[in-house]
Amino acid sequence: MTEINLQNIGEKVLKSVSSRGISLAEVFLTRSRDLSIDVSDQQVETMKLAEEIGLCLRLFHHNRLGFAYSSDFSDTALDQMVTQGIDNAQITAQDEFYTLPEPVTYYPEMDLIDPQIPQVPVSEKISLAKEIEGRARQYDPRIKITERCAYSDAFYQVVIMNTLGVYGQYQGSYCGASAFLVAEEGGDSQTGFGFQYRLKYQELNPEAIALEAAEKAVRMLGAKNISTQTMVTVLDPYIGTKFLGLMGNSLSSEAVQKSKSFFAGKINSQVASPLITIIDDGARKGEIMSAPFDGEGVPCQKNDLIVDGMLTGFLYNTYTGAKERKKSTGNGIRGSYKGMPEVGTTNLYIAGGDTEKEELLKQANQGIYITDVMGMHTANPISGDFSLGASGLLIEKGELTKPVRGIAIAGNVFDLFSNIDGVGSDLTFFVGKGSPTLKIAKMTVSGC
Amino acid sequence: MLSKNELEKILDKALAAGGDFADIFMEKKVTTGIGCEDNKIERVNTGIDMGAGVRVISGETTSYAYTNDVSLDGLLEVAQIASRAAKSERSNKPVKITKKMPQFDFEIEMPPHQVSVSHKVEQVQLANQGARNIDEKIKQVSVGYGDVIQDVLIANSLGDQVEDRRIRTRLIVHAVASDQGQVQTGYESLGGTQGFEIFKCHNAEELGKAAGERACALLKAAPAPAGKMTVVMASEAGGTMVHEACGHGLEADLVQKKLSVYGDKIGQKVASSLVAVVDDATILGKFGTYRFDDEGIHGQKKTLIENGVLKGYMYDHLTAQKDHQKSTGNGRRESYREKPIPRMTNTYIAAGKDDPEKIIKDTKNGIFVKRMGGGQVNTTNGDFVFDVAEGYIIEDGEIKNLVRGATLTGNGPQALVMVDRVGSDLGFAIGTCGKDGQGAPVSDAQPTIRIQELIVGGTAQTEAKSKTTMKRL
Repeated sequence: MTEINLQNIGEKVLKSVSSRGISLAEVFLTRSRDLSIDVSDQQVETMKLAEEIGLCLRLFHHNRLGFAYSSDFSDTALDQMVTQGIDNAQITAQDEFYTLPEPVTYYPEMDLIDPQIPQVPVSEKISLAKEIEGRARQYDPRIKITERCAYSDAFYQVVIMNTLGVYGQYQGSYCGASAFLVAEEGGDSQTGFGFQYRLKYQELNPEAIALEAAEKAVRMLGAKNISTQTMVTVLDPYIGTKFLGLMGNSLSSEAVQKSKSFFAGKINSQVASPLITIIDDGARKGEIMSAPFDGEGVPCQKNDLIVDGMLTGFLYNTYTGAKERKKSTGNGIRGSYKGMPEVGTTNLYIAGGDTEKEELLKQANQGIYITDVMGMHTANPISGDFSLGASGLLIEKGELTKPVRGIAIAGNVFDLFSNIDGVGSDLTFFVGKGSPTLKIAKMTVSGC
Repeated sequence: MLSKNELEKILDKALAAGGDFADIFMEKKVTTGIGCEDNKIERVNTGIDMGAGVRVISGETTSYAYTNDVSLDGLLEVAQIASRAAKSERSNKPVKITKKMPQFDFEIEMPPHQVSVSHKVEQVQLANQGARNIDEKIKQVSVGYGDVIQDVLIANSLGDQVEDRRIRTRLIVHAVASDQGQVQTGYESLGGTQGFEIFKCHNAEELGKAAGERACALLKAAPAPAGKMTVVMASEAGGTMVHEACGHGLEADLVQKKLSVYGDKIGQKVASSLVAVVDDATILGKFGTYRFDDEGIHGQKKTLIENGVLKGYMYDHLTAQKDHQKSTGNGRRESYREKPIPRMTNTYIAAGKDDPEKIIKDTKNGIFVKRMGGGQVNTTNGDFVFDVAEGYIIEDGEIKNLVRGATLTGNGPQALVMVDRVGSDLGFAIGTCGKDGQGAPVSDAQPTIRIQELIVGGTAQTEAKSKTTMKRL
């Protein structure tokens, strides 16, 4: 790709906006290089290489918002984007709280680049994906199908600048590897997966990924349904993060301001079990979602949201902050250059407790350990109601025993967090979310 | 976009180091999005997304590279990157391409770029008002309008060249109702491979009204029961069930990877004799309709299951080659950022002979699904789940009270075998189907059908049994 200086382009766009009489504007620019390798049966199935560049403009004119984006950096396209942005600001509603952040004296120092990632030859990255598959197959002869074993990495650059003087830029990289496998026995097929995303290439552990996926698939062989009942339920950390994600929506100030949050008006009241502490930390060391600043150029920081079950705060971007005369918490998140900085999470996690997972299972005695759910995207983030397909393992006398599938679990996520009576010490992150093993006093399980 | 000569040059470059097949997919997508929430137009978002991807297939290996530098030099560079994975010998034949014409065509009456933004805003406001006028219990309404003009250019080393313009428009309404600490939501959407004329046959205000009414009605609904029940699904419920229960399992990539319960079952009975399943990219105006797929193959109508017998799978170029079949025109990609994979288009269970009302009358006890929400499937074992957006209890052949918070779970092949009634009606719904991280616009449909039993994942029955109550919002 022809080298484009993002900063120069950004300045050019801001100048063009200013020359048309608009004083409040922001440009967000990104560039990324991605590599992904999928392996199946020790063959490279797909190798993908990508270079991408894009920018967007957000401006405020007479307290109206205008937005436009482009991945075409030609002068004509940039000019069209500016015109579109200004035109769009003629149609949107006026809002006195529209503003942009002011410059800050410093951004947190972050170690986001691993120089090793681009240096490792592609052939070695292919070998890493093959190694995952090989080790998984060695683990058990019943591992018969590889849906995909993969390696991927990315290098990216982000630039933000606004007419109030904010200027920030950073570069980052990360890598990841995964295994999606199927175990087969007597006509029964069960899937298992394992994955890791890390800032450093050295931190990827192909063996651990392979074992996790293989073990998950094999232990589900012969899974059966159970009868409908109320049970003690233990959630695997991955499932914990899924429920955390469902609840996360209610921790956004935007949801609160728009009457879409269960937590509205509940600051300083008990909203979850006293064992639960929930934090969002965009500056957390070693996590791939960490960054010096958010999508508006506001420094990322650690925000306590629920402490010992007590609701202590919400997440804000500049706009929702202004509405309550509060500062942004650094949670103006952009999905890509095509979107505006919405209130979002960075590294959202449930703090680990002090009970080991084995001990939690012992305490559960008789119950179910949920390892997979289906249909989480159909749960209702506003009411918190969920009803999901699920599978997992029975807990009998404190030990994991028979595999169970085809059941449904239903309830309300806010009740669920109130009913947690055990939190594991095994906090595990899955990209932007983390959870330890969680024990729920009771849950409705629908079966045959 | 690019001349014939330039395309040939790029494809030649892609195959310079060998390879069996190469193609280029180039697109320019112009989008407009309008968002209304809190009773005001919060955002109008317009953008241009342009880029191209070059693919080289060499044996079993696909190499894909993309960029948004669509200059000839940029594309030649991408072609060279993609060519690196090739291992086979180069056949010295240079690529010669010719333009391919569509097999069916349709007119877009009112292309989005010829409609002023204020007209689009009007429809958004109508939907917003429609929902808000229902009841003061409606506390929030969000309306999203989106249109896209996607110009694509596809060329491949087999010599095909396709240029097409795809236009899609959609409107979604999300209403939130609350009363006495209860919160419920209602959702409605419409969309098609259509321009602004979509609002000639659909009323934005009515759409808003329907979303608002559902949200309010659910406030009074009882928690759904839990356990096995007979299920009657209305034609207007949409086709989430067919999409999840068998659609995905009939995509050739999953079949070939042995990740589908429908693998190696062509010619076998996989459903009740009453069931026929069709995927049809040629239905005018539907959300999953196209003249050409993203590999330049003609959009087609395919019968996948007939009288309960499995007839065939959905193929893209690569999977068709492996099975020595022709592509069925199901190769789709979300954008130039992705390689094509087999995907559904407009998928439906064909209408049968039964009177829809009689199906309900003949059902002693069960659940009536009037509207489905989203769903998910594990294709490997066929277990699926879908959300019930609007469901009622059936008692003695009559539709009784509304229930909330239900999902239905089942197993694809088992559920299709248990279909014992198929109605004479057919209703479509739209959706965005997610697979391998790629979203694709689809529609799906079914007639009123009855399934002898599925598991309803509610909370009510066990509450009664265990005499515990679950606190609800």
